[in-house]
Amino acid sequence: MSKKSSESFFEKVWKFFASLRLAIPVLIILAVASIFGTIIEQNKPLEHYRRFYSESTIKILSKLGLFDMYHSWWFLLLLVLFAINLTCCTVDRLPNVFKVVRNPKRTLDEGMERSLSLVHRWRKKGKVEELREKFASALSQAFAKPVETYNSDVLHLYAERGAFSRFGVYITHVSILIVLVGAIIGNIWGFKGYVNIVEGDQISRVQTRGSKGIVDLGFAVRCNDFRIEYYPNGTPKEYISDLSVIEGGKEVLRKTIEVNDPLRYKGIWFYQSSYGTAGATNITVDVRKKEDGSLIKRLTLLPNQKVKVEGVGTISAVDFDPNLQGFGPALRVRVEGESGQPLSFWIFKNFPDFDKRRGQPFYLVFSGIDEIYYTGLQVAKDPGVNIVWVGCVFMVLGILVAFFGSHRRVWLKLVPQEGGRVEVVLAGAANRNRLAFEKTFQRLKEELSKV
Amino acid sequence: MGTLNVKLFDLAMILYGVASLCYIVFLYAKKEGVGKVATLVTGASALSATAAFIARWVESYKLGIGRIPVTNLYESLVFFAWVVVIFYLLFEWRYKSRTFGAFVLPIAFFTMLFASTTESSITPLVPALQSYWLHIHVITCFIGYAAFAVSCGIAVMYLLKEKQEARGESKGIVGLFPSTRVLDDIVYRAVIIGFPFLTAGIITGAAWANYAWGTYWSWDPKETWSLIVWLIYAAFLHARITRGWRGRKTAILSIVGFLATIFCYLGVNLVLSGLHSYGGS
Ligand code: HEM
Repeated sequence: MSKKSSESFFEKVWKFFASLRLAIPVLIILAVASIFGTIIEQNKPLEHYRRFYSESTIKILSKLGLFDMYHSWWFLLLLVLFAINLTCCTVDRLPNVFKVVRNPKRTLDEGMERSLSLVHRWRKKGKVEELREKFASALSQAFAKPVETYNSDVLHLYAERGAFSRFGVYITHVSILIVLVGAIIGNIWGFKGYVNIVEGDQISRVQTRGSKGIVDLGFAVRCNDFRIEYYPNGTPKEYISDLSVIEGGKEVLRKTIEVNDPLRYKGIWFYQSSYGTAGATNITVDVRKKEDGSLIKRLTLLPNQKVKVEGVGTISAVDFDPNLQGFGPALRVRVEGESGQPLSFWIFKNFPDFDKRRGQPFYLVFSGIDEIYYTGLQVAKDPGVNIVWVGCVFMVLGILVAFFGSHRRVWLKLVPQEGGRVEVVLAGAANRNRLAFEKTFQRLKEELSKV
Repeated sequence: MGTLNVKLFDLAMILYGVASLCYIVFLYAKKEGVGKVATLVTGASALSATAAFIARWVESYKLGIGRIPVTNLYESLVFFAWVVVIFYLLFEWRYKSRTFGAFVLPIAFFTMLFASTTESSITPLVPALQSYWLHIHVITCFIGYAAFAVSCGIAVMYLLKEKQEARGESKGIVGLFPSTRVLDDIVYRAVIIGFPFLTAGIITGAAWANYAWGTYWSWDPKETWSLIVWLIYAAFLHARITRGWRGRKTAILSIVGFLATIFCYLGVNLVLSGLHSYGGS
């Protein structure tokens, strides 16, 4: 009692921050708080929220930071509390674990003998000194090599396995802190941005999200080509950009990127993210005779450019649809005949005979288009990401060690008795998975009683 | 759809249902024979589901879009049910008790029933989903989810048993359950199998996101809900080492954890919108 009241204020605060009693509510509050951010859509423009909430509700939600909840001061405070809790708890307990592992209790005293649940004793003829060797080697064989300690004339043998597993919990806890450190580093020194590059063009600056504005990469990236591959049924299989990194006027790296296979250069990653058409050049239209399908003329058109064909009229391409009503690429052409009304109609790349139906002596075939695409790239730099992965690996390892490792300890005490006899006391303890250890202990008992 | 794999999955579903009934009858009738039949049927259902997975994999190769069958809603549901059944068989064997069956097998059956209402044809993967990280992500997550399902089923048994023990009785079906001490232990054991898998699942999901669009964590609803589930089970683990929390309170946390898991799995797609919506994108 007197010890309690003499605890200084500092000690009390420390105990509080290092306690599990704080950890459980913090974990649960973090979980519950996180729910709000999944119900209220985050980081949307104000107009978006106006569709769902009244002005006064918006005011309240925005005051509480619920529109960017995971970066709000109170959520970050919660995370800081969590980190402090974890740090204090580790600092508080780790020295003790080191002590237990480096300097284990090698002798079995009365108090322990009473408190341990796995204790077995029997008597044996002989002297301690004679039996020492035999028991030590039997214990080595059956469990682990023991350490010997003489305490006056009583011999203690101590053997252990899996002492390291006591660190599992702390590896887990420290790994969480490592992940948090990695995340902070990424947030401070990294950026995320987005850029469109038209085929043939190059960029060296990227518009980023957040407060960093436009970032100069220090090198240029050129898009040589963009293409889409399809499955047999027509759904897109892969979006592919052929990129070059250009530094000092020279190409230093060339890579074809896909979704899930980014380009990396000097810590900056470029991800295939979207694409679009930046216009079309070189539309090819064939003019063919209706009778035998022979080619009258192959036209190479620019959008809206008018080309005159003898005996047919003036032809221009006025519109393009990559997939008109599910019939594939289609071109809207305009034909101004030498007499009569100008006509405009669609022709389809996949149906070359489509225009025969017009009943003219010639028909038009849409035979190709060379579209210019732009590729949309996500650009990211995250100097903390490797730290995060290191933390993640240790987290899984630590959890496995914590759950499935077990520090198993065995004491064997040889106490000389009167009449040339020795009392043998065998005791064991495991900090986890005691059921399995009971079986080990049973086996040990049998092995050692044979000595 | 009459493809072989779907037929085999349908067979597995029927067997899960029959096994569930057998386990329930076994609880009421207390006849060892019924219990043996239940175990046999469960074994057959697991074989049928295993064969179905192999058939589906082979069929996807024949269609020219070969891939591990764990990438859409149907596949993830049938995979989940399959792992639940495998875990169940392991627990039955390990604890030599068939009383869990009535609480665990129905989870697999209703999951399959739900799966049978979803689109079961094999479709090609959109580019964003073509990633080994994604496959490992789905497999690890669903093994974790399945372990939590088992834990939840047994936590319900725990609560029933505890009520009875408080009354000092040991009659009826609940009387057949193992003691609360054993049940509490199994609830915990199922969670410590699930937790590393969920942790690895969240991490591989983050790795996938990092490769696909450059952020390992963007607080989208699916990610956030997996974090919520993880935090609940972390609370569970710490509650167990705190005096006064073991038993009833941790059993409740296990049930809450599994409800959150279901929401993470389905609710987010059905109720909330996000980057992950299966089929939608
Ligand atoms: C989400 C974050 C956390 C994770 C994933 C985590 C993980 C773990 C794991 C796996 C164990 C082993 C549990 C068992 O043996 O059944 C453990 C034990 C423990 N954790 Fe955490 N932990 C977290 C946060 C915290 C926090 C914030 C504290 C702060 C006090 C804390 C304190 C402890 C303590 C005292 C133990 C028991 C150590 C022992 O058995 O000697 N944990 N933790």
